[in-house]
Amino acid sequence: MDLGISALNYVNGIKNNEFTVEEFISESLDHIKQVDEKLHAFLRINDSAIKNAKEIDAKIKSNQNVGRCYGMPISVKDNICIEGSKTTCASKVLENFIAPYTSTVVSKLHSEDVIIIGKTNMDEFAMGISTEFSAYGPSKNPWNTDYVPGGSSGGSGVSVSANECVASLGSDTGGSIRNPASFCSVVGLKPTYGLVSRYGLVSYANSIEQIGPMTKTVEDSAFLLNMIYGIDPNDNTTIDSKNQDYLSNIDAGINGKKIGIVTEMTNSDGLSADVLDANNDAIKTFEKLGANCEQVSLQMVPYTVAAYYTITSTEAGSNLARYDNVRYGYELDSSGFEFNSYISQARSKLGPEVIRRMILGGFVPSAGHAGKYFLKALKVKSKLINEINHVFEKFDFLISPTVPIQPFKFGEKINDPVSFMMIDFNTVTANLTGIPAISVPYKITNGLPIGIQIMSNRLEEHSLLQAAYALEKTVDLPEVPV
Amino acid sequence: MDNLVNEEEISEVAKLMKIDLEDHSAHIKRVQKMLEYFDILDSANVESEEIIVQETDLDKLRNDKHIPYDKNLLKFLKTYQGKYVKAPKLN
Repeated sequence: MDLGISALNYVNGIKNNEFTVEEFISESLDHIKQVDEKLHAFLRINDSAIKNAKEIDAKIKSNQNVGRCYGMPISVKDNICIEGSKTTCASKVLENFIAPYTSTVVSKLHSEDVIIIGKTNMDEFAMGISTEFSAYGPSKNPWNTDYVPGGSSGGSGVSVSANECVASLGSDTGGSIRNPASFCSVVGLKPTYGLVSRYGLVSYANSIEQIGPMTKTVEDSAFLLNMIYGIDPNDNTTIDSKNQDYLSNIDAGINGKKIGIVTEMTNSDGLSADVLDANNDAIKTFEKLGANCEQVSLQMVPYTVAAYYTITSTEAGSNLARYDNVRYGYELDSSGFEFNSYISQARSKLGPEVIRRMILGGFVPSAGHAGKYFLKALKVKSKLINEINHVFEKFDFLISPTVPIQPFKFGEKINDPVSFMMIDFNTVTANLTGIPAISVPYKITNGLPIGIQIMSNRLEEHSLLQAAYALEKTVDLPEVPV
Repeated sequence: MDNLVNEEEISEVAKLMKIDLEDHSAHIKRVQKMLEYFDILDSANVESEEIIVQETDLDKLRNDKHIPYDKNLLKFLKTYQGKYVKAPKLN
């Protein structure tokens, strides 16, 4: 059985009786057993997956209505809640936290008969870009296990790339879907802010983060997006996208479309020559497909990483205040502790990056420093939004490398916070402005993947997916060496 | 380096954020480097920029009514004792 099939081919395989749900799930679980000790994509596997598969097979056999997923196995990042199961955010603080309710995205997929095969590894509380900050140890890149898989949704990227599941749900605050998608050679879509409900997503920086699909193909991302988007009364930031069908006319092509090559993202200091080559090649490909590509400047881009970390640290400082070990937490007797010292003691289980971001989050918006950091960051964000609005009056899409570099070795960047932050250079613009962005696998150089990022105006996912599909159809990449 | 946060200030902020740091020096250099990088915001020339505020219309908010929740949330608390939530004492 080919576990590397796309979600749409999985659905066709079930409909054509090529295999049963149980057979596919059973083989997927065997494969996970074989490879995940090395890759560590998963923090937990769903013990009921086979039982769920049998139930869906029974529905199919008795001609009952079956949801669009037909028992498709997907993984879910461990910061998305599923009632009755652990949601740890890869943190020791939430080691035994059982979610009391289910996130809207998972509810929607459950109603479409998806099988959640497991919860995936991530950087603690989604703060990181390599999974090296997971309290449970990092995930490994299936293309070369000496290299990081990207993050923070690294486990999700690995699980899809290594064929441990058909697709995954990640979350993207500053590139956390697109970065591991690029590093693991899968498709990763960060939707428009508000298109997908965040209800049940553990908040890190709620003003900019989004849940999105990570898949083997662009069509699969459209397929998943069709099922997870929509207004949710439990998330008042959700917006109406007028009943879009993102799969329809996905092969419409991009003839005559205007693509802006973001100058600041294609001439930055940290950009590797191999990544730049791949981006230039992708631009030529788009031109051959009939698009008009020209340089465009977004003057605020050089300031976006600083603005992003200032804003997200501030929000993290507030969002993580709830981890006081009274409402959430682990066994730690409060007897003898004064209130503040108890909370401080409980928080000593937080990992180093979370601690640093909380310190930053206390510092940058504080009296005496807010004018220098936080308010300026908000102004950069506002000016960037105006620039983006202006640019999309002329262009249909923007293009850049998803990440300025290829995957790097474990430990290579972790001690240099600035070079670590700069890895987000090309991705944070989409988060700060709320626009959608997708990473498409484009090349394997020196045995490691390179992804190309395409961005569009808000709620233009339909045309964005058409552009991504057009690019994807021009590439023929090798199989992952798992 | 004068305008950088120092160990004393980090200690104070950590205290405000209720984070118990036995060894501040483990974090100080990294936080300093990050803040030093944030100085790039000074050259963004955005002083006159208006901050765009994310607004939510009142009609988009949930109705202000009680929604019954039939699950026993208290059982999820680690420090639940009898019918009380056990919490550390307040000074």
